[in-house]
Amino acid sequence: MTSIVAADHLSKWYGQVIGLNDVSVTVPPGITGLLGPNGAGKSTFMKLITGQLKPSKGAITVLGEPIWGNPALYHRIGFCPEQDSFYERMTGLEWVAALVRLNGVADQAAAAMAARAIETVELADAANKKIGAYSKGMRQRIKLAQAFAHDPELLILDEPLAGMDPIARRRTIRLIKDWGRAGKSIVVSSHILHEIESMTANILLINQGRILAEGNVHQIRELIDEHPHTVHIKADRTRALAREFLAHDDVLSLRLEEGAVVVQTGRPDAFYARLTDLAASGEHGAIHEVTSPDDNLQAVFQYLVKS
Amino acid sequence: MTPSVLASAMRVFDLSLGQMLWSRRSVFLGLLLGGPVVLALALRILSSMYGLPINGAQPEGATIFGMMVWLLYIRFIVPILGVFYGTALIADEVEDKTITYLFTRPIPRSAVLLGKYLAYLACTVLLVLPSVMLVFFLIVPTGGSSVAAAFPSLLADFAMLMIGLASYGAVFALVGTRLKRPLVVGLVYAFGWEPAVLLFPGYLKRLTVMYYLQALVTHDMPQDSAVSMVLQLFREVPAIPTSLVSLAVIIAVTLWGAGRAVEQREYVLEQ
Repeated sequence: MTSIVAADHLSKWYGQVIGLNDVSVTVPPGITGLLGPNGAGKSTFMKLITGQLKPSKGAITVLGEPIWGNPALYHRIGFCPEQDSFYERMTGLEWVAALVRLNGVADQAAAAMAARAIETVELADAANKKIGAYSKGMRQRIKLAQAFAHDPELLILDEPLAGMDPIARRRTIRLIKDWGRAGKSIVVSSHILHEIESMTANILLINQGRILAEGNVHQIRELIDEHPHTVHIKADRTRALAREFLAHDDVLSLRLEEGAVVVQTGRPDAFYARLTDLAASGEHGAIHEVTSPDDNLQAVFQYLVKS
Repeated sequence: MTPSVLASAMRVFDLSLGQMLWSRRSVFLGLLLGGPVVLALALRILSSMYGLPINGAQPEGATIFGMMVWLLYIRFIVPILGVFYGTALIADEVEDKTITYLFTRPIPRSAVLLGKYLAYLACTVLLVLPSVMLVFFLIVPTGGSSVAAAFPSLLADFAMLMIGLASYGAVFALVGTRLKRPLVVGLVYAFGWEPAVLLFPGYLKRLTVMYYLQALVTHDMPQDSAVSMVLQLFREVPAIPTSLVSLAVIIAVTLWGAGRAVEQREYVLEQ
């Protein structure tokens, strides 16, 4: 197979609003990162390749077949959506098993597959807790578990790292890379450059409904250092963390918010590596959630569009 | 290979029933169904203390029960359950943004609708029937009626209620998948259109569910006023087989239409 996803002059509009504009692109096997700020058309593209939306114009095929109105194809696809929505009253295990059953798997086998997937995302201890009681990071991981529990060929992951703590983030990146090495194809979206870069060198850049660039985009790597990167960290001991951050010269500015510290860094790779080590050591208390607003990427895109 | 619509629907049913039973809507349903039970309890207490004379005569408990089933359950509770649950079968999943999990599985979208419709039916039947049974045992013994003698009519009432829930649920599932503001349209249909056209002679009443349901009522309604006598003159009731076939056609056609709508429609979730 030469391409996992093939879009041919694909357009999608919502009334007068253009979501995606005449996109022709082929996604090769392996891990592909879809990178773009909010409103770039990333979500529209993800919805089109998962058959949730029908193209307004042009065509899209996934694993060689049209996806809209083709439910059989979902046997081969796993999808982790962006939205933080669940059947809150179900336990993680019940929920994942129920979704695997929708793939036509018998009850016992579905429960076993769900349990295995939950163990892979290191949620076995919380498998029998209600999802409503999960933290944001746990919810992200259970969402990931339902996507791959039925062992699909192609995984489509929409912002899978959003809201995870640094350790879960590192583990999830490792997991995605392991799947890639095991021969699975993965399309993963993010608005954070270094996240995508840590998973793959094959990137699709999307902005204003168009694919700006595709392939191994080295220029983006250089731009990372030119534009400050903002990181929002929810933690127990924000002041101690702030003191630790200020000891390093890649931290350009810092401000404290209620229960959180917001940092601007010139070298996100180094910063995230230190943050992960800090979270693992527990030296400055627990770090609950790490998020990054998309204005980092917006700045890079503005630069790209101008140049 | 894609599983069959029915097999897929049963899996969606498994997933949805628990969610539906423990939803906020079911709390509302519980309160609604508690109303007739409280009323029956009050009537039972009043009956034991003072009797329940209507126009100077003591009506039989079975007659009062029949009136309650018709006026409270069939004319009010069943349509309202149909409107609130039927219009929300897919809308709830869209609003909660959980529809994505169902629509990205190897099952036809129409199976999602059918599974949720079956869950609605099971959920409402499980809640309505105990309420009716309680009313039966509270009301029928008043006025000297025999519970044993009236029991077969209770079973007939159960069947009629299930057919009513199935019919209204299917009609409002179609409304919910095809129209904007389905709740308003549903309420206008159930409590505006249906009662209005049933009052007048002509063919329009055949476009209502109630017209066919009333043929399944086994109880004799008391004619206690001039108005009801006049209304009785205009009351045109189809034969039971005609009603059953018509209701089956209504259920099949509206569910098919709703399934088609779900298959073809794009659901854009708000971010």
